Amino acid sequence: MSHLLCGQNKTAPEYQVKAVFLYNFTQFIEWPPSSFKEPDDPFIIGIIGDDPFGSYLDETVAGERFGTHPIKIQRYNDVKNISNCQILYISSDDVETTKKILSAVSGKGVLTVSDVPNFYKWGGTVRFFTENNKIRLQINVDLSKAEELDISSKLLNVAKTN
Amino acid sequence: MKLRDAPIQRKLMSVILLTCLTVLVLMVSAYIILEYYSFRKAAQNNVLTLGRVLASNSSAALAFDSPKDANEILNALKANPHIVEACLYDIDGEIFAKYPVNAPSGNFPSAIQFEGYRFDKGYISGFNAVMQEDKKLGTLYLKSDMEEMYAQLRHYGLIGLLLIAGSLILAYMLSKILQKSISEPILALEQTARIISEQHDYSVRATAHGKDEVGALTNAFNHMLTQIHDQNQEIISFNQNLELKVNERTQALQQQKDFVETIINSSVDLVAVFDNDLNYIMLNKRADDYYEKKRENILGKNILEVFPEIKDSPMLRDLKKALNGEAVYDAKYKSPVLNRSFENYYIPLKDKDEKIYGVLTLGHDITNIMEANEKLETVNTELLKSNRDLEQFAYVASHDLQEPLRKIQTFTQLMGDSFYDEEKQKNYHKKIAQAASRMQNLIQDVLNFSRISKTEEAFVDIDLNKILENLKNDFELIIREKEAVINHPVLPVIKGIPLQLSQLFSNIISNALKYNEKKPVINISLEKLSAEEIKKNLKLSENVSYIKIKFSDNGIGFEPQFSEQIFNIFQRLHGKQTYSGTGIGLAICKKIVENHHGIIYAYSEPNIGATFTVILPSQRNTTL
Repeated sequence: MSHLLCGQNKTAPEYQVKAVFLYNFTQFIEWPPSSFKEPDDPFIIGIIGDDPFGSYLDETVAGERFGTHPIKIQRYNDVKNISNCQILYISSDDVETTKKILSAVSGKGVLTVSDVPNFYKWGGTVRFFTENNKIRLQINVDLSKAEELDISSKLLNVAKTN
Repeated sequence: MKLRDAPIQRKLMSVILLTCLTVLVLMVSAYIILEYYSFRKAAQNNVLTLGRVLASNSSAALAFDSPKDANEILNALKANPHIVEACLYDIDGEIFAKYPVNAPSGNFPSAIQFEGYRFDKGYISGFNAVMQEDKKLGTLYLKSDMEEMYAQLRHYGLIGLLLIAGSLILAYMLSKILQKSISEPILALEQTARIISEQHDYSVRATAHGKDEVGALTNAFNHMLTQIHDQNQEIISFNQNLELKVNERTQALQQQKDFVETIINSSVDLVAVFDNDLNYIMLNKRADDYYEKKRENILGKNILEVFPEIKDSPMLRDLKKALNGEAVYDAKYKSPVLNRSFENYYIPLKDKDEKIYGVLTLGHDITNIMEANEKLETVNTELLKSNRDLEQFAYVASHDLQEPLRKIQTFTQLMGDSFYDEEKQKNYHKKIAQAASRMQNLIQDVLNFSRISKTEEAFVDIDLNKILENLKNDFELIIREKEAVINHPVLPVIKGIPLQLSQLFSNIISNALKYNEKKPVINISLEKLSAEEIKKNLKLSENVSYIKIKFSDNGIGFEPQFSEQIFNIFQRLHGKQTYSGTGIGLAICKKIVENHHGIIYAYSEPNIGATFTVILPSQRNTTL
């Protein structure tokens, strides 16, 4: 991942990894066809709240596509602003705010991602956590199924599931 | 044994088995090679497939940076014992996970060299890209041994060998049976041919087994045998005829040869045949009587090798002439080998092309004839001489004997005429008596001369000193009267007739005493005759030793021209009045010396003296 570090000094290494993971989800997860109306509709990775990735995430996904869909980054300040996104990173660790966001995107085929330890309990789908200095994943499989997200077994193999 | 010399059965079987073996080996080899390549391909595909599965499985581990999961995935390779090593490189080419987990990183390629799988030193190794969708996440490295393939190949190899062995055994058994259809007729034919060649029985026939080439060969062979048999019969009968004829001819030739050999061997002459190099080809039996060497040791050898003595003889010259085609006749050939004389013929021998191939030599021994001739000649000479002597004797005798007879006749007549003159009568009577006495002396001397026979009276040892002593006694009166001196050395003992030698000495000494006006001095000397002197005188024999006795006196001597005449009978140099004598004495001397195989000669000068030299054979052990 060294080439990704070039020219990046604002973003912490931990978030650089997480940025790549966010992008990598696009390769191991199938979103339901209803997520896109048009073949050239963008695949949106949204960030709500504080953005820990800086420009790093933008650079990671620059020029990348999900199938026919160009991958775009959207930053949201408010739940209301969340439109049609496929991955949503929630930086808030506040339970109320988080629950409010989750309920707003529930049933829309959105993969919600957060660093918050109780994210799973609160109804989030994917949580980043650190184990032996490695960033690991915890995936709520039931929830992802409810959201009609088809997560590759390979991804499930490397993640902690329940 | 080389295949070329092997029996036909073995040859056939060798050919069949070799063909089988070649085909089988080629087939099995081709099959194994084919299998090898297909195994290789399959092994490569297997590894590739395994690689793809692994790569696919490990994509999430790579994507989400989970070496633990990656290691677990790789660890599943345990199920395949042929995978020796495997590893995952992340997108940056760093080793991400390893199999076995605790293998040192140095075992793995430090960099990704290529895509795909290759064979390298008994292993298949290579790289797989780890892709998710179309995104490359890393690379998988796999290394598999090829034991599986080798085991499989060994298995096939074993089966192949068994197949070859089994096939060969089957081929051997089949060919052993099947080759008989080819080899047996040939062997049968060969057997027949061998029987024929060993027993020379051309009536045997080979059995034809079929109508193939061997059958045709057998028929041709039989046909040939028939021809040979017929021809043999012809040859045998022809040979028998020929043999009969040859026997007849041989016998005739042998007879002829025996006949010729008998003639040649019965010849009193030496017969020899030489080839062009003068080697003896033939030599008749007479040679055995002549040569010390045996005929079988002479035949085949060169004449110069057998008789080197003939090198410079006329024989060699004549033989060479004859080899040049000239027939040579040598009336008198003295052989240096045999010390005999031959009458030799050298006849060139020519073949039908007139080419000379040798010389026939005939040697007729003429030694005896020549000896007889020589004797005859000697006798003849003696006869002539004796004839001459007789003629002379008759003439001289008649003349000398008639002279006193005429005297007697004359005085007898005168006595008749002067019958009454006593004085005259007395004188005539005395004259007649003198003439008669002289006649008696003459007759006595003639008798003496003729009595000196040539017959070989037995020669005895005679001491010449004794003879001289006796003579001195006989002549004692006259020696004393004339005061004569006789000087002489000690004389030897020689072989001779005593009376004759006594007479010889007597005659010479009496002459020396008689024909001398002074006091006679007689010197007798003695010497041995040297070899040169013997050689000079042709009448002497070289093989005998001689003594020379010289009688020198100081008498009246004679003119040198008479030195030979004086030895003739009735030869007198002086008148009867001066010196008494009959003229027979020296003739007797000469005859005696010749009887003793010696010579006598005289030298003189008037009034100085005469020297008579007598040469006589001495005894071998005579001491001088």
